[in-house]
Formats: sequence, C-alpha cells, structure tokens
Amino acid sequence: MIGEISHFFTIIASCLFLLSFIFSTRTYQSNHNIEILVSRVFSYGFYFILISFLLYVWLAIQSDFSIKYIAQHSNKELPVFYKISSIWSAHEGSMFLWILFLALWSQLFNINLSKKNILKAPAIGLLAFILFGFLMFLLFTSNPFEVILPIAPINGADINPVLQDPALAIHPPFLYLGYVGFVIAFAYNTAFLIKGDMDINWERVVRPWSLAAWILLTIGISLGSWWAYYELGWGGYWFWDPVENVALMPWLAGTALIHSLYVSSRTKALKSWTILLSISVFSLSLFGAFIVRSGIIDSIHSFANDPQRGLYLLGFSAILITISLAFYAYRLPVLISTNLVVSKSKEAFLSINNIIFATLIFAVFLGVMYPLIFDFMYGERISVGPPYYNTIFAPLTFLASIFLVFSVGSLWKRSSQLFFINSALSASILLSTLITLYLVSLFNDFNWWFVGGLFSSFLILFRYLILIIYSFYEGNYFNKASAIAHIGLGLLILATTFNASLSYEKVINIKPGETYTAEAYEFTLINFDLINESNYDSVRAKFSVKDINSLNKVFFLYPEKRKYFIRGQITSESAIKITPTKDIYMTLGDQLDNGYWVVNIQYNYLIRLIWIAAGVMCLGALATFTQSYSKK
Amino acid sequence: MKNLIRSLIILLPLFGIYFFFNILTEEKFYPGADFRSFEVPNFELSALDIDVKYTSEDFDNEFLMNVWASWCITCRVEHGFLMKLNNDGYNIVGLNYKDNKSDALGWLKKYTNPYSLNIHDPKGSLALDMGVTGAPETFLVKDGIVLVHYSGEVNKVIWDNVFVPIIKENKMFQ
Repeated sequence: MIGEISHFFTIIASCLFLLSFIFSTRTYQSNHNIEILVSRVFSYGFYFILISFLLYVWLAIQSDFSIKYIAQHSNKELPVFYKISSIWSAHEGSMFLWILFLALWSQLFNINLSKKNILKAPAIGLLAFILFGFLMFLLFTSNPFEVILPIAPINGADINPVLQDPALAIHPPFLYLGYVGFVIAFAYNTAFLIKGDMDINWERVVRPWSLAAWILLTIGISLGSWWAYYELGWGGYWFWDPVENVALMPWLAGTALIHSLYVSSRTKALKSWTILLSISVFSLSLFGAFIVRSGIIDSIHSFANDPQRGLYLLGFSAILITISLAFYAYRLPVLISTNLVVSKSKEAFLSINNIIFATLIFAVFLGVMYPLIFDFMYGERISVGPPYYNTIFAPLTFLASIFLVFSVGSLWKRSSQLFFINSALSASILLSTLITLYLVSLFNDFNWWFVGGLFSSFLILFRYLILIIYSFYEGNYFNKASAIAHIGLGLLILATTFNASLSYEKVINIKPGETYTAEAYEFTLINFDLINESNYDSVRAKFSVKDINSLNKVFFLYPEKRKYFIRGQITSESAIKITPTKDIYMTLGDQLDNGYWVVNIQYNYLIRLIWIAAGVMCLGALATFTQSYSKK
Repeated sequence: MKNLIRSLIILLPLFGIYFFFNILTEEKFYPGADFRSFEVPNFELSALDIDVKYTSEDFDNEFLMNVWASWCITCRVEHGFLMKLNNDGYNIVGLNYKDNKSDALGWLKKYTNPYSLNIHDPKGSLALDMGVTGAPETFLVKDGIVLVHYSGEVNKVIWDNVFVPIIKENKMFQ
C-alpha cells in the first residue's frame, strides 16, 4: 500500500513539474502572477518527490519485499544502514536518488533566488523540464516501484558482500550531489541565453552553486577512490577505469568553470567561454550517466540493462544539450567580450590554465571514446590504459602549476612583472629548485616526471607560504580560500609524485614457515586459519613482519580470502599496516598446486596524503563561502 | 570563420549523439546476450524430481535451457514469462542451480512448473562448464549446439529481439 502511494506521489510530482514548465513558457506576457505560479508549482512538485522518496526509504527499512527492486537488492538480515544504502546499489533506485538530488538542488535554488530576478521563471521552468524528463525515464524504463505478484519472497536477495561497506554506501550520494549540482549553472545560463539580455549579472548567481557542487563532487570522487583502495583490493588510488574517467571529466570542467567564473565576474572577460563551460559540465555529467547506464561500457560500476534505457537517455540528453548549444551559438556574436585579456595579467594566466584544462578534458574524452570508436569501426576490442593518461596528465599539470604560481600576486586587468623583478616569485623558484635537486639526488630518481612533480608541487607550496607569511607580517588582505585550496593541490601533486616514484610492488610465492625480505621488511608466513562464518568460509593468513630499520620491531598482518556461499563470490580482504610515510598493503592470491600461495606485497608511499590533500582542497573551496559572507 | 565555429558547436555534439545512436540500435546490442555457439558439454546429473540420470546424449533436440534456483529473486520475476512460453509450446529444460532439492521442489509446487524436465546441479558443475555466472540465465539449444546464451531475466523485449531472430534463422520449433 505504501509502495503504491510512493509510486503515485512520483507520478503527481511529474505532472506538477510538467505544469511548472508549461507555465514558464507563458511568462513572456510579463504577467508577474504566472512567474510566482511557476515557482510555487515547482515547490509542490519537490515536496511530492521528497515524500515519495522518504516513503521508499521506509519501505526499504521495513524490508517490504513485495517491491521487486527492494526484494532483489536487500535482505531481512541487513543492518538498517545497509537496508537504506541498498536503495542506490543498482540502477532503478540510484536513478531515483539522482532525481531526488536534482529536485533538491533545484528547490534550494528556487527558494534562494529573489522573485525579482527576471531569469527566475525561465530557469526554474527549465529545471522543471529536466526533472520531468528524468522522471519519465524512471517511470517508463526503470521503475523502482514494480511489484512482485502474487506472493512476496520472504528473505530478499543474498547480499553482494563487496557492497556492504560504509565508503561504498556514502560515495554514490556525494557523487550524485556533485554531478547534478552543476544543473543550476546549466539551467540559469541557458535561461540567460534564451532571454538574451546581456546586462544580467549571471556570474554572481551561478558561482556559489557551482562551488558547492564542486566540493561535493570532489568528496564523492575521493571516497570512491578510498573504497577501491581498501575494499576492492585494487591497491592504488586511481585506475583510469572508464567510469572513474566519466566522473573526472565533469570534475575537470567544474574546476575550470569555478575559476573562469571568477575571471568573468571580475573583469567581464571570458564570458562566452565561461558559459560554454557551464553548459559542458552538466553535459559531461549527462554523458557519464549515459555511459554508466546504457551498458555501452563494461566495468564493475556499470548497471546491466536493456537498450531502451540507453536510447531514452541519449535522446533526452540530446534535446537538452542541443537546445542549450543552439542558443549559445545564436548569441555568440554578442557574447564575445569586448574586454580583451591583458597580457601577463591575472586573467591571462587563468585563461592559459583554462586551455590546459580543456586539453585534459579532451584527452580523457578521447581515452574513453577511442575503444568504442575502434570497436564500432573494426569490431576489435582495445583498451586505453594508464600510460596514455599519465603521459598527457603529468606534463600538463606541471605547466598548469607554473601558470598558477604566476597568477598569485598578479593583478586583474594589468600586466604584472614577472621573474626576477618579482622577489616572492623568484624566491619560490629558487627554494623549490634547491629542494628538488636535493630530493632528486637523495632518492636517486632522475625521471622527468619525478623532477617535474617535485618542482611544481614545491613551487606552489612555497609561493603560497611566502604569500601567507608576507600578508600576516604586513597585515595585507589575501585570498585565504584560494591559498588553502591551492596548498591542497600542491600537496596532491607532491603525494602522487612520491607515490609513483617510491611505491613498491612484488608478487611472491610463499608457503608456511618461509620468510621473504622486501626492502626493509621481513615477511614470514606463520600459518593459515580456516574461519567459518554464517555466510562465508574464509582462509586467513598470518604474517609476522619484522621492521629491520626500527630495531626489528615485529607486527602481524592478516590478509584474508573469503568465499560466500550463495553467490559463490570470492573476495579478497587486504591487510594494511599504516606507517607515517607509507601503507604496507598485502593481498592474498591463489593457492598453487605445490602448497605455495601467491601473495602481493605493496608499499604505498604517501597514499593517505592524497586523500588528505583532496580534503584540504575542499576546505579551501568551503572557505570561499565564509569570505563572501563576511564581505557583506 | 565565426559562422564555422557556431555551426561546429552544434554539429560536433550531434555527430556524437548520432554515433551512440548507431551503437545502441545495432541489431545485436543486448548486454547479456552472447551469440557464440558451442557444444553442450558432457555431463551426467540426476533429475530433480525423479530418480533418473541425464547425460549430454539425451539432449540432441531443440529446446531452451533455463538456469534457475529457489533463492533467485529474478527467477520469480521471470517465471511468468516462462509459463507463457511453455503454454505457447516451447520446450523448456530447467537447470536447477546450486539449490537444495526440497527448496527447489517446493518452489515448483508453489508457483507451478514451466519446465518439461529438470536437471539438478547442486554444485553448479554443468553450469560452470556452460559459462553460467548466476541465475537466471537462458540457453537456446539446437542439436546439441548452444546458439544463444543470455544472462539475466528473459522477458518479452529480450525474447523478441534476442531469441526470435535466431529461432527464425535456424527454422526451429516448427
């Protein structure tokens, strides 16, 4: 019964969003009442979808297995937390959550935007149209409310053990919040293009929403990377998996957007470019949703399904993107700013980095598309792997870091003095050169990417440190948010550089009683325990590890392999020992015929700093909000 | 030049959309469908309901083989469509997969039996040889050769688009 109510409320919400959209197309009569109506009806639509989702959560908590989707993805024995997270463990439910978040962002925007804003009605109308389109997709191709008749199963499905993990349970919601958050910039700027009134100050409206979306997307991606590291046993932080890549593209475009918005709002330059970016970010989010949900790419993330879904998503995305780009092309002649970019000014450096970001996005896009195009043309499967991405990303990131450092302390709309005349800049260059030379000789690693990575990360860190110290000393104003976020970036480059250079991986064959020495540690396989749990059998190895460098201190590691009964799924539980500079990471492989076991040992240097750095970047972005409030 | 940029802005995405449209409407784009044919592997397993042993030699005619289990929720969902196929006269062989006998028999009794006969594969050995990764999965077999292997729920859409063309092509079930 509650299932039917929830279903019915979603249908009502769709009708209300459609109504809100229809009203919004009538606003040209400049009738103020109809504009209020657009916003009101939209709010009602939001409340219906919210209640509908809450009811659905209630059904999941109650384990109502008359609902097919819940029966297939949940189980009576699960803790409440996982009963709720099972909602977004597969296609239908996660689409429902995606739509809820889309509605949530839109409603917050609806509440916050002043009634007097002449773009409010068309922007809300557009959001209503987007919501209506996705609700139709949900109801007609991926209905989570479908029931099993006549009799409901009693216990539900067995649970995919890999999915029972806190990081997995919370990373999709953050990702979705980030992805769909960029819809605000998309809708508002498309409304701006449709209206065509060039005096409207859209940058101020769009910027906080894009920043918030960027923060959530960053958190979502980091949590996903952390989950893959310690739960999937992948032993790294990034794998250039197609589904990671489709999340990275909106992130890169979003990063470019928040910077470009800053330039446009300050100098009136780059306007057309910023608008194109705001359209691209959401389009790339749609592209991601399409790739993951159409079954075009095989990945552990993708949802198996039928081609109808892919076609619907493709068609609807095509409508949105084409409308928006058509208006963009139509308005382009008036959009192109008359304010030219002054050379060696702040906006000039930011523009160069915009170009670099566009190149990175294109490189990832090509990496995702190339196997598809190749398969389509020649019927052969090929894959594009990490070497391709690393060769493109490393040098461009170094280049971007240098222009970033140039932009610090440079001025808007005025040419800045560079190099040796600028003492802070030359001091940072000198310091980072010295420390890079020292570290390169210390680690005896002369790879170009190691040298480049160290130099660019220290360049960023020193430049901002000097800025902070100098500003405190002189009592000058400096952009604290930007300083924090870019220090995060410096740490991220530093951590990834060290991780790539120092990390060690070795696959060994070992049997009980034997010892293997890998760099400064001695691994002795002591024995195996067989553990019988209620839903799985497990083999657990016990290793004693002796740290030769620190007085032969001994600790134990227990890598484990589980076999779950019902699905017969085998999972590997890695054992991780965290030390200040690195993680010692062990995974148990297969048993060989001669009694030996395959064991993978990794030392992952500074891997934790990568996630910390991402956190620092988010903090910096968060700080922009306190700054803009305190200025009022 | 400016007009070129303006038209490219619209044409490039449209080209991409056209490309994906082509992939999605390709005749055989059904995730889960595998059309590589292979011989039914050798096996010897007992029947689920009667005391008979089946071997691969018993299966040299035309039939559908459906992998199912009482613990499998999707099999419950698929059941209705299998009943319809059975009523339309298709011969469906059940392969009961990693299941316990009494649960499986109880399931058939409760929901009615769409299968002409049922092979009991408690360890999933035949299923493993046939490339089964879970339940439900369905095979189309002619003269001991598997023509279609479909992983996932068979419903009207899948039946019409994946199975029917191959059945017609091979003039089966006439």
